[in-house]
Amino acid sequence: MNLSFTRTFAPIVVFTSLCLILAACNADLISPDSRPTAVTLSFGPEQRLGDNEKNPAAPFLRYNPDGRLFAVWTEDHDTPWPQANQPAKHQHGSGDRAPSPMRNALLAWSADGGKTWSSPGRVNSAVEAVQGEENGPKVAFIDKKAFVVWSIPGVKGDKTRANIRFAMNDEKGGFSAAQTLNEVNDAARFPIIETTPDGNLLVAWIDRRIDNPKPRQLYLMKLSPDGKALTKNYQVAEGLCECCKLGIAFADGGKTVYMVDREVDGKKIRNHVLRKSTDGAASFGAPVEISNDGWQVPSCPHSGPSIGRDSRGQLHVAWFTLGRSEPEAGIYYSLSKDDGKSFAPRQLVQANTAPETLYATLAVGNDDRVYLAWSNLDGGGKAQIFMRTLAPGGRAWSPIQQISQAKGNAGRPVLALMKNQLQVAWTETDGEDSRVVLRSATVGQ
Amino acid sequence: MKNHARLFRWLLATGVCSLLLTPAIGRSQHAQHGAQSSATGIGAAASSFELKSLDGKPVGLATFRGRPLMINFFASWCDPCREEMPLINELAAKSGKDGYSVLGIAVEDTRAAIMQYVQEAKLVFPIALDLNSTVKRAYRIFGPPATFFIDGQGTIRDVVIGPMTSERAREGLKKAGVSL
Repeated sequence: MNLSFTRTFAPIVVFTSLCLILAACNADLISPDSRPTAVTLSFGPEQRLGDNEKNPAAPFLRYNPDGRLFAVWTEDHDTPWPQANQPAKHQHGSGDRAPSPMRNALLAWSADGGKTWSSPGRVNSAVEAVQGEENGPKVAFIDKKAFVVWSIPGVKGDKTRANIRFAMNDEKGGFSAAQTLNEVNDAARFPIIETTPDGNLLVAWIDRRIDNPKPRQLYLMKLSPDGKALTKNYQVAEGLCECCKLGIAFADGGKTVYMVDREVDGKKIRNHVLRKSTDGAASFGAPVEISNDGWQVPSCPHSGPSIGRDSRGQLHVAWFTLGRSEPEAGIYYSLSKDDGKSFAPRQLVQANTAPETLYATLAVGNDDRVYLAWSNLDGGGKAQIFMRTLAPGGRAWSPIQQISQAKGNAGRPVLALMKNQLQVAWTETDGEDSRVVLRSATVGQ
Repeated sequence: MKNHARLFRWLLATGVCSLLLTPAIGRSQHAQHGAQSSATGIGAAASSFELKSLDGKPVGLATFRGRPLMINFFASWCDPCREEMPLINELAAKSGKDGYSVLGIAVEDTRAAIMQYVQEAKLVFPIALDLNSTVKRAYRIFGPPATFFIDGQGTIRDVVIGPMTSERAREGLKKAGVSL
């Protein structure tokens, strides 16, 4: 009887156990929340950047190699908009002057990890409508010298037919007169600037000088440390989403360049792709699809991907997608272990809590830990900033942490990492007011 | 033996169920705060709202009750919004004669930027500012532009996500009860 029982049930028990184990694995793939706890970050108090009376917004953070933390953001310019430019009276019948669309780019630095800041300095020499949102100013460094790029609307005020502006520190500690980098006027936006490992500057942007057949192109330009053009504008890709930020990472002393963007095909399906250069960004190979999300959207997502590379050469990417149906919407993550030839199936980091486009950014620490920040709605229906970390090796996500307490909405977080300091900044808006908030955490690197 | 067979079936069912149900459980962990069921689809009552216009006056769905309404969600930074805006403006110019209203709702934008855009594009219809994104969320807009055609009783009759065409505008207005 016992033997019969064992013969009958042993395979069933084994089968059931296997089912349960497989089920557990399946749940993990779908639900990273259920993974073992990794590092929970301990953040300091909120700091505000800029003049709150001037609606600071669109921060970008970067550490100078000397250890100072720099922030660049935008603020209202206090000169009123000329009366001649006032909108029609039926739209603005109060008799007051309309608020000025002019915005400045401000740069400040902190030598104590974000606790105290230098007086902000204006970067744009002329009064301009420096753009923000997904398209805010960016800074890079060569030694102690700062180089800043930003976007301004085209001559007719059109933000989508804009120009890329560039300025750098002068000898007096201010900034040089801004120059326009795009050689075809009113055709560029979403600039990024990076110091290449060979000591020069690489600027990239989304360009629309050719409207057909693939309406947006990826354009690059190289600059020397004295701000002189090393190349003309050159196109390396086409078919980019018209309104989604770019991501970039380097390897091999600058010979290898990885760029990520949201690509748009003829059916308006917007999947993310990696483009890899092995000749120092002179040319790029065919795009590699990061994930076949299948989000078909004829409108503006206004949310691009983020990429980081770890010490083992693995590429980490985070992005927002709605996917093929609304219940799929959320922040996703994937990695490539073969230098960008392929990507692992996407992992859901957090699902959307409401119908809303979300914004994600990631950074990779020296210990290969991945730090991911994004926006999502809290239980009260307000957009907040959330974070989680992925342990080195990629198998343990920390619990989701909410790090903002915005009264209105918080959005578009940015990250900076240096040694054991992690910095997160974002924009908070409440009605017509905005502010820039920064929080710091000590991390183990 | 009968008991063994029952136990066998029970264990087998447990194993299979655990495999089949776990993905759904995993999904529901994320979906518990997830998107609510749409209340802004065709045939549903349009969500009411109250916003401020560019000159600070209150403007809401109730303002337009009694005649068909076309609501266009847009932003000054949005490429397809700018592409469709001449058509939206043209429809707004004809709206009084044809017996409907047009309302623009600016999302993820600032009053200053929208005022500049109004002047640049010579917009002739009222604009409301959704500065806290509450209406955008209520209408489940993941990115502008999006246009809703609402009849005089406040029921959504058509929705266009992405840039508008003359044909789709005509179709939407007809569905909302406009005689063209």
